[in-house]
Amino acid sequence: MRRALLFLASLFLLAGCYDTPAGTGGSTGGGPGMLAGAPAQSFALPRTDGRTDGLANYRGRVVLMNLWASWCTPCRQEMPALERFAREEAGKVVVLGVDQGESAGVAAAFARERGVTFPILVDESEQYGSTYAAIGLPTTIVVGRNGTIVRGIDGALTLEQMRAAVMPALAAATPR
Amino acid sequence: MSARLTALVAGFVAIALVLAQDVAPGAAFYHSWQYALALAVALALMAGYAAGAWRGHDGPVGRRLVLALAGLAVVDLAGLASGLLGPDTATIVGTPGTVAPIPVLGAAAFFAPADADALARGAGSVVLRRRGHSAIELGVGTRRLLGDSVVSLTPRPALYVEAWDARGAHLTVTQPAGTAFLSPVLQFGTRQRITDALTVPVDGFATPAQHRSFRALYFSPRDLAGFPHRIGDPSRPAVILTVADDAGRPLGIALSQGGRLALGGVTLRLTLGTYPALAIASAPDPVALALGLGAFVLGLIWVAALTRLRRRARVAHAG
Repeated sequence: MRRALLFLASLFLLAGCYDTPAGTGGSTGGGPGMLAGAPAQSFALPRTDGRTDGLANYRGRVVLMNLWASWCTPCRQEMPALERFAREEAGKVVVLGVDQGESAGVAAAFARERGVTFPILVDESEQYGSTYAAIGLPTTIVVGRNGTIVRGIDGALTLEQMRAAVMPALAAATPR
Repeated sequence: MSARLTALVAGFVAIALVLAQDVAPGAAFYHSWQYALALAVALALMAGYAAGAWRGHDGPVGRRLVLALAGLAVVDLAGLASGLLGPDTATIVGTPGTVAPIPVLGAAAFFAPADADALARGAGSVVLRRRGHSAIELGVGTRRLLGDSVVSLTPRPALYVEAWDARGAHLTVTQPAGTAFLSPVLQFGTRQRITDALTVPVDGFATPAQHRSFRALYFSPRDLAGFPHRIGDPSRPAVILTVADDAGRPLGIALSQGGRLALGGVTLRLTLGTYPALAIASAPDPVALALGLGAFVLGLIWVAALTRLRRRARVAHAG
């Protein structure tokens, strides 16, 4: 087995002698911005408080969904503004945090430490992250009352940018 | 060889070439000048014979054969148009759970979410949605005709990665260079030449919380069988993983055919399997094919009927 591994290691070294890999197939990239107008997908996941929740439970309300992780520096920097936004807009906008790839304990400890009060989903298998075409963290998705995506934004937002992001969704007529 | 036989042989060759687009879609040959030339020559041979036969140069049989040849010509033209004007062959590698627009089909492809078990079983599906049409669900091995295209799913190597730190906390897996930044599924969208004779799929992922980046080379059982040393179970695929820290310092190398593995201070659980890619290839227009083949069969029946009548007349005359 050792000889085999040495052989494989030498293959890896050889691989470096050649040019960059040649691409095959197409790409489905494009980032969360391209999702505007598409129906918002929902996955039922555990929350940090132990309950099961998902985006579908907030149909009929404007949702600002924030994908984040505790190791992500811009996510940590954005979190106080997100918490303030959630408190200020309570009743008008639902703020839903979705921790990407981490354990419930890590997400819960982070939320406690930062004084986060809005619900946080624990998405260990990164279903929301891949479905919402996140190209980095944090990623913000605004979902309208009718369940369609209004905006998808890559990168940390300020409080003013959060307010502006939900404005079109709040202005849209309530679906019957 | 008589002109009639030449025209018929040319027609059968044309049918074979055109139906090959449906039977084995996606070959670059269908878009080549050689393919177009072969169909054009077949068409010219059929047209040349048919023109003479219509004027009575080959008797009543030849005149009736014109209908069959017209049908073959329609099939030939459908194949020629598909090869020259149809969409180029494309393979769409979609991340499980994502949607990819397919402009050439006027559709959106929904790649079904897949967990580790689904990947190990090779179970994956794609749903195609087109405005004003019902959704089409494709499974691995199925093929559907959509307008001037054949769509099918082809399995590709995939690796499901789960990672934990030393305390057992689940780690975010990212793919900084992949088609999806946040996905635990590696789809090996690029290939790496590692020796003059061997090119293998390659991909990478990172666990940012632990400042580790991994690179994975995929070896199929066939690749493993070609190595001078026995490597693991040669009947199953394998990956070689290397790990480095943020500064690019190598921290280790390991071989895995699935299961748990500790590397670079990270515990990994790897599941090797397949996830389908959507293959799109041009196809001859089905209406033209049906009409052409229908006319061909009718023409043959017409010729057969004439031959039978003549034989009866000969028998009656002899009696």
